Amino acid sequence: MKILYNWLKEFVDAGTIPAKDLASRLSFAGVAIDAVEQTLAGELLDAEITTNRPDLLGHYGVAREVAAILRARSSVTSGTSSGTTSGTTLKPVEPKLHEAAEKAESAIQVEIACPELCGRYTARVLRGVKVGPSPEWLRQRLAAIGQTSINNVVDATNYVMFELGHALHAFDLDAIAEHTLVIRRAQAGEKLRTLDGVERALRPDMCVIADARRAVGIGGVMGGADSEITSATRNILLECAWFDPISIRRTSKALNLRTEASTRFERRADPEMAELASRRCAELIQQLGGGEVAAGVVDLYPGRAAISPGATSSIELTRRELLRIMGADVPDGEIESILRALGFAPARTDANRGSRDSLVAAWKCARPSWREDVKREIDLVEEVARHYGFDKFPARLPAATQPAARMPHAAAQDALLERLLALGYEEIITIPLVDEKLDAQFRAAGLSPARIANPLAEDAGVLRTSGAVNMLRTLEWNLNRGQRNLRLFEIGRAYSVRGTEPREQRILTLGLTGQVREKNIYEPARPAALEDLKGDLEALGELFGGFDMHPAEAGWLQAARAARIVRPGASLGRDASGDAGADGGGDVGIAGQLARRLAEEFKLRQDVYLAELALEPLYDAFAAKRAAIHYQPLPRFPAVERDFSLLLDDGVTFGRVAEIVRGLAIAEVEGVHAVDLFRGGQIPAGKYSLLLRVTFQSRQTTLTEAQVSDFSARIVSALTAKVGAALRSA
Amino acid sequence: MTSDPTRQTLDALGIRSEAAVLALFADMRARFEQDAVSKTDLDEVAWTTLRNAWLGRASGIIAGITENWLKPAPPDLKRVVGKALNELKARVEGALEELRVRMEAAAERRAAASGKTDLSLPGVPRVLGAKHPIRQTFEELEKIFLSIGFTVAEGPEIETPYYNFEALNIPEHHPARDTMDTFYLDLPATAGGPPGAPGLLLRTHTSPVQARTMEKQQPPVRIVVPGKVYRRDNPDATHSFMFHQMECLAVDTDITFCDFKGTVDYFVKEFFGPKVKTRLRPSYFPFTEPSAEVDATCHICDGKGCRVCKFSGWIEMFGAGMVDPAVYGFANYDAKKYSGFAFGVGVDRFAFLKYGIDDLQLFFQNDVRFLRQFR
Ligand SMILES: [Zn+2]
Repeated sequence: MKILYNWLKEFVDAGTIPAKDLASRLSFAGVAIDAVEQTLAGELLDAEITTNRPDLLGHYGVAREVAAILRARSSVTSGTSSGTTSGTTLKPVEPKLHEAAEKAESAIQVEIACPELCGRYTARVLRGVKVGPSPEWLRQRLAAIGQTSINNVVDATNYVMFELGHALHAFDLDAIAEHTLVIRRAQAGEKLRTLDGVERALRPDMCVIADARRAVGIGGVMGGADSEITSATRNILLECAWFDPISIRRTSKALNLRTEASTRFERRADPEMAELASRRCAELIQQLGGGEVAAGVVDLYPGRAAISPGATSSIELTRRELLRIMGADVPDGEIESILRALGFAPARTDANRGSRDSLVAAWKCARPSWREDVKREIDLVEEVARHYGFDKFPARLPAATQPAARMPHAAAQDALLERLLALGYEEIITIPLVDEKLDAQFRAAGLSPARIANPLAEDAGVLRTSGAVNMLRTLEWNLNRGQRNLRLFEIGRAYSVRGTEPREQRILTLGLTGQVREKNIYEPARPAALEDLKGDLEALGELFGGFDMHPAEAGWLQAARAARIVRPGASLGRDASGDAGADGGGDVGIAGQLARRLAEEFKLRQDVYLAELALEPLYDAFAAKRAAIHYQPLPRFPAVERDFSLLLDDGVTFGRVAEIVRGLAIAEVEGVHAVDLFRGGQIPAGKYSLLLRVTFQSRQTTLTEAQVSDFSARIVSALTAKVGAALRSA
Repeated sequence: MTSDPTRQTLDALGIRSEAAVLALFADMRARFEQDAVSKTDLDEVAWTTLRNAWLGRASGIIAGITENWLKPAPPDLKRVVGKALNELKARVEGALEELRVRMEAAAERRAAASGKTDLSLPGVPRVLGAKHPIRQTFEELEKIFLSIGFTVAEGPEIETPYYNFEALNIPEHHPARDTMDTFYLDLPATAGGPPGAPGLLLRTHTSPVQARTMEKQQPPVRIVVPGKVYRRDNPDATHSFMFHQMECLAVDTDITFCDFKGTVDYFVKEFFGPKVKTRLRPSYFPFTEPSAEVDATCHICDGKGCRVCKFSGWIEMFGAGMVDPAVYGFANYDAKKYSGFAFGVGVDRFAFLKYGIDDLQLFFQNDVRFLRQFR
């Protein structure tokens, strides 16, 4: 809403206050002024009006706020108003018309067939008006507030709308068939060409203004082209009405047609203003184009009881409530002068009326018709507080009453983050709206995605079911910008629906590509490998009781380069080689090398390794893992290492070998490690060489050579018997 | 050495008096001084030779004296031999240590003079991770609010219209809904859901968690709600399908506008620095009353005016206010008994202001050259 300072001054005496100062004072009273500009019509204030204040969509309403700002600061008034106001007051609007003998009701017939959509309709008739261009002052004012001048009659309706905040419409009376108006619901299939030249298809939930034959306007939104004011127009029908806000909002949305009129009606115009605005507009038309105004007005007001607050409606404001909400007091004089200036007509009603600033003070306040937003005591508290000044209330911190807590998973997440950073992963945050077709390629079987009904972009049509698409897009973005060595992670959510039930799961996604170590002065480069991802996952798994990896099948990962990540059953901290996850129950994620087909689709020209983990089971496991940590006394006797150079068939895994060694249940076996592994050379095809290192440790004694030899012999014979291992001579 | 006296006993050497013992030790001392002094600039081999000659465990001079002089010494001389031996040993050890220190310092000086150590060369590179600037901002905010007694709460991003709008006093057809363009899910309408829930949407703010928390818990309530929110806005430098908010809510029997002002001022100062001042401008939100926009003095120019604050000295921070009693109605709180305040902080905006970022898209492109600036 653009406000001309000169125009404001017609309703309130602002003295010599500079526009910039007034703008600032308005802003701190709740009428946000974004800028002050200079125009041909004087200084212009650019106001941002909140949706609860349609009364400020006209200069008169803003002038009322100015009057409240410049109110008499009565320093001597007591609880009862003494009437010694020296401040500014709002000037009344009192239009003067030269009325003809002809009566309005004999010139036009009006009927409201849908009072639920149109609560009030006023019609005035002007005859012999000379339609022509508007005078300079009017064109300048309209231009300053961004309105195009059309002709003096249309300009007058617009001018009054920006003055009093109530929309009007002028019809060419002679285009109204039988001089009869019916305000009714549109008929199914009914069409109307509006003033902007667009043919509109109407629906029965829309309110139209119709003559004896057809619709001539969409009530509260826009008039019809056939009855518009032209240079040939002589006689005018001036409409000023009140339409139901929700109906206007629906109509405007359905037609995708927002006008100055619809903006005002949908925020709820002042029904009491309709007749006054009509009179003011008739006065202005007469002033600009001459002619005669038919006497009186046709004023149908079926909604009066329902939409006008009426004289009996009042709200009480008590000092007790003001103090309870605001925490600091406002003097009686300020409360009363603010409420009076805003039109609430406060009157003390409590028993202590004579006593100033009494703690039990109460005021009965009227509800002005233009302030539908003020219905409750809290609304009056706000009115007083904003004009008194938010800055006058002291700042203090509330007393603490209870301990504060972080999210239950915060400690687990902190530990996870700390470890990811230590492993060199950088955190990304992405927008989880992705392309449905891409997402589908990474989706676990049985998941239905949450689709967006009204997406703004095709590649953001579905909430992701995994973090893979976002991760690959981020890798792609960085690779395209010369950043080739990447370790990224995202802690986010995956979304799906089961029936109509939405599901959100916390997930961790890892992406690894390029070199894990770049060439430098001291070391050669080393490209990332699946084993790097596995090592990282093991380091993460340690936080949650360990991870086991089992071969997985997933279309988006390379065959034989994919692993299910399984949390070993409940046996935390103990021998963890069992098949706890065989039924899939312990699965917490999947990891592997991206399939070539997808690497090509994402234009990734280097090997990419991905992992995704469900975080909720891990967060749950974190506390158990921490609780399972118990101090073990440090060994007092030396450990002994023995290396076994084994020749094994391909397919006999290290896991199997370690399982056999541990299966011997030699209490002194402390560790089983793979130290070296190679194929080719002297190793026959179909076999490989594994250098196995077993650490023996006794808690009771220093192990003797004989004991260790015995353990070693048992290990070798077990491996030979169970997997045909042969001991290579060192 | 033809006749090393330390290979013979005192008796064999003909020493029988205290004076003779002392004279003998004086000879040994003189011999050591000569050995040591002649070697002022030793290399490591020469130093080791000297040390072995005097302190060698089996064949060193000190070991010889102990073995041949002290152990077989007649009882009347044992004390004086022992004392003299200790003195000689202390002198030898002290001098050798001194020589070693001098030798090493000289070696370091030579290495430095050679120019082979280049400290300007980088060390072995270590790979480091970094937290996203948005997470860093969340963590900072969370810490501030924890310190004044606010508990962290979270909620779903897929919401019902009831929690996202109705329970926050934004009924259907409320004009405020226009200001929050909403993504809806393509789902059949939920049957038997909470009242007024014709389908699901992506939450447009973190405020639904207010309603969810109040529904479950009577006052006192003090929560902050970090999370992702969604708006159906075309992406540009200040708009994105998704961004981040942190909602703050306090409800209790005696929370007033003054407490609200104090809390806002405290946390803005904690985040942007103690010099920053705050002010409130009246505004309107359906779920608060009185409502306010919070401004803070520009932390870049200290309020003098700069490009960031559009030369006004002030920056708009976030919307806030006292909880509207209508909201308590949805939570079954007694609005006559309880009062409180609520506000929603734009976390991306706070990160913008703190780090001088000017494009929202940077956060979600995740260019590692951007992310690494926040290590
Ligand atoms: Zn600045």
